[in-house]
Amino acid sequence: MARDPKYDILFEPIQIGPKTLKNRFYQVPHCIGAGSEKPGMQAYHRGMKAEGGWGACCTEYCSIHPESDDTSRVSARIWDEGDVRNLSAMTDRLHQFGALAGIELWYGGPHAPCMESRATPRGPSQIASDFELNIFPRYMDQDDIDTVQQMYVDAAIRAREAGFDIIYVYGAHAYLPFQFLSPFYNRRTDKYGGSFENRARFWRESLYKVREAVGDDCAIASRFAVDHLLGPISIQVGEDGARFVEYCDDLVDLWDLTVGDIAEWGQNAGPSRFFEENHEKPFTGQIKAGNHTNKPVVGVGRVTNPDTMVAIIKSGQFDIIGAARPSISDPFLPKKIEEGRFDDIRECIGCNQCISRWEIGGPPMVCTQNATAGEEYRRGWHPENFHPAANRDKSVLVIGAGPAGMECAMVLGKRQMSAVHLVEADKEIGGCVNWISQLGHSDGKENLFRGSARGLGEWKRIVNYRQIQLDKLKNVEVHAGSRLSTEQVLEYGAEIVIVATGCHFATDGMNAATHAPIPGADASLDWQLTPDQVVSEAKRIGNRVLVLENEAYFMGVSVAQKLAGEGHDVTLVTQAAEIANYMDYTLEAPMLHRDLDRLGVHIHTYTMLEKIEPGVCHAYDVWNPAHKQQFEVDTVVLCTARISDDALFRELKADKARLEAEGIEGLYLIGDASAPRMIVDSVFDGHRLGREIDSPHPEMPLPFIRERRLWGETTNEDYLHELKNTADVALA
Amino acid sequence: MKIVVAVKQVAALDEEFELLDDGAGVDPDFLEWDLNEWDTFSLEAALELRDSAGGEGDEVVAITVGEEEAEEGLRSCLAKGADRAIRVWDESLAGADALAVARVLAAVLERESPDLVLCGVQSSDAVNGSTGTALAGYLDMPRVAVVTHLDWDAAGGTATVHRELEGGLIEVLRIRTPALLTIQTGINEPRYATLRAIKQAREKPLELVSPDGLGLDEAAVQAAAGSRTVALAPPERGAGAEMLDGSADAVAARIIEIVGERMAG
Repeated sequence: MARDPKYDILFEPIQIGPKTLKNRFYQVPHCIGAGSEKPGMQAYHRGMKAEGGWGACCTEYCSIHPESDDTSRVSARIWDEGDVRNLSAMTDRLHQFGALAGIELWYGGPHAPCMESRATPRGPSQIASDFELNIFPRYMDQDDIDTVQQMYVDAAIRAREAGFDIIYVYGAHAYLPFQFLSPFYNRRTDKYGGSFENRARFWRESLYKVREAVGDDCAIASRFAVDHLLGPISIQVGEDGARFVEYCDDLVDLWDLTVGDIAEWGQNAGPSRFFEENHEKPFTGQIKAGNHTNKPVVGVGRVTNPDTMVAIIKSGQFDIIGAARPSISDPFLPKKIEEGRFDDIRECIGCNQCISRWEIGGPPMVCTQNATAGEEYRRGWHPENFHPAANRDKSVLVIGAGPAGMECAMVLGKRQMSAVHLVEADKEIGGCVNWISQLGHSDGKENLFRGSARGLGEWKRIVNYRQIQLDKLKNVEVHAGSRLSTEQVLEYGAEIVIVATGCHFATDGMNAATHAPIPGADASLDWQLTPDQVVSEAKRIGNRVLVLENEAYFMGVSVAQKLAGEGHDVTLVTQAAEIANYMDYTLEAPMLHRDLDRLGVHIHTYTMLEKIEPGVCHAYDVWNPAHKQQFEVDTVVLCTARISDDALFRELKADKARLEAEGIEGLYLIGDASAPRMIVDSVFDGHRLGREIDSPHPEMPLPFIRERRLWGETTNEDYLHELKNTADVALA
Repeated sequence: MKIVVAVKQVAALDEEFELLDDGAGVDPDFLEWDLNEWDTFSLEAALELRDSAGGEGDEVVAITVGEEEAEEGLRSCLAKGADRAIRVWDESLAGADALAVARVLAAVLERESPDLVLCGVQSSDAVNGSTGTALAGYLDMPRVAVVTHLDWDAAGGTATVHRELEGGLIEVLRIRTPALLTIQTGINEPRYATLRAIKQAREKPLELVSPDGLGLDEAAVQAAAGSRTVALAPPERGAGAEMLDGSADAVAARIIEIVGERMAG
């Protein structure tokens, strides 16, 4: 379909210094876990977006020197010729598709703990990092300032050599240049501290020197948080924020605008449960609106809706649509808009699983919506291309249409299996997402900070996208409201049977902390509930509710939010040091804590239940079990262990002769039915099986390319040989 | 017991489509074919009656008038459990209207002598709602339209059927059988075919017969026809439509404004 003229504006080229951006789609710098050490992953992940139509793609933050070493988190690095060589793979790949390549030159100051290099970071004042644990910088005298600025220049020259078109002097997220600018970090009394001009001097000089060195050949960009969100103690958009843009406008070709800092960067990468699309507009939108710049501006806000993009450009908010998460979720977003394929867009759900892996430090990026994210090189997976399966004459029965089953059936459909039947016991497909997306709460009230409580509604996009895709696949039939018995499965006539029947919550308090049930716990009683029962509303919930949170992710706290939002008096109990530990990694924790506080939820950490009796929960301190506590309650929610619903699989597997007699050649178990897990991993599991359904042993994942150093002389071929499946990405 | 279910393979339009050069049809490249939704319910009703009777030789026969793409619909009926199927076609039937189709179906039914005939209330593409009724006329059978409940005493030759009337009333009728009933959606929960049943359906009898083979000449069919499609056209866009663009808040504000204007007017 031809492009709707309404979207033409998104495809207009725009000049950025000496470079021309071919359209208005721009992947801003974001982490993926590749850095300079996994050049294949780096090149093919960014390259996939270039293939999908993005006009420019950037590296993640890229360290300019061993003094800025973020280990164990993975940054790119451009320290030497080896890094130039490795990052050249990325720029080559981008240029093949006509996209510009950007590099975000980064010096972290005390936020970089230098755990690999063992170097000492330098900073404007000797104040410990508010992000890292116990990392102090060395105070920078004039020599230090000159030295670090030369690091930027040397890195910029190497970046040009590596083929980068856009070179950032990165100061957003409170890294070194911003540390000079902000009085929150900068307590200097020399010409680099005090007045606005003095505090801006380091950044301005750095921009000037980099521009002098490479500005004729490369576009110079700066990423800048227009507001630190800390009030008058730091940068505010109406004060020094706008002033800084004006002050350095002559030295940049592009402004990349954000808000906040690294210590709470969930204000920038806002999770959907607290932030709506284009949520940074009240801050970043002020720069162009107030005529503070004559240069192009790119900004973000998890924008996935093409109409919002048009509105952003037409209203003069930004010139360029920046995206990190939407580009991970759908690398082909621009192409799909261009071709009018709106219902094929895989919209980001704002769960921040991608970010969690960077925060954990080390693992490659993952995406709930796009199982191929980060797998482009090492597994050769393409988000849009699927080669026909070698065994496509076979027919497949997938039992259970939750995240794993939907994804698997979709991939098998795209791999042209002769027939795929996806059979779901519930009336609607979607599995656990159908009730999980009703968790949290969305009273629309402003939180104690920026943003508002919105609940998990956007997670329903997991179902919506797959439902639409399954509908379009002629070889796939979806049958909901049909619970199959073992006998029915045996007689179904499928050659391949895939069991994706999910899991259920323990009803007896069985949990990961004590590895035992809790005496008195019994969710068959009318006053004790599992989390799914909270949504199904089959039980009356009393005023005083105790939620036992042993799950460590969103479940317990989202139940607490929902019930507290509905007016219940909620007590949240966990054996851990913190409620919902994993939500630190997804950047949801700070806003969550503000919201739970606003809702009056009582939190008890390091606390575990000893037994449950009608009207009272007996608890103890995990470090001193003799220290007891009682909670008077009307209702208890047991957010404890999950247990696979694998009975069907076990029964089928038990009778091999019968399977053979019925013509069932392959029997597989995926998702929560295999082992309870996070949704992102269920989707991956279903996708993986679909991609490898024609491998010799589909139940065993094939090896992937490991980009570790191979001893002795090596070529790229040595790495490609590690791949045992047929790649859908043309790897070289 | 023999129950005949008359079905139709209906066309659904793609989001965008083009008309044929003569303007009297849609370019088949833009059509997707599927069994008429109403017919999935009438087939299910027939299968349930047969299965609960459970007698030797009881059968459900699916019949249709249509080109080759109609075979797929018949195969899906066979996969769900119909015992055999009959497709009537030759080129002379191209463009046949509901009354002409009914005349052809009547010829099949005269040959088959069923105990009960079930049709859907209407087809989703042509929406005439007349084939079943016309067919009953040709066969001189009692007929009840828009049936929402069905009890059949096959041995006694009577059936009790429900129809939904306006205002929440249900009309209960008792009729002699053989009879023809047009079945409303929602009367049951249509089954789906397992992969094995789909494979086995390939072996079930599907007879292709021409009107000639039924002893019908072209003139008889043409004489039955009541109308001919001369043109298809998309509706002209009225002036009353206003597209609302902008943020959710802006759109909501505009809707409130419009409702206010209309209420005042």
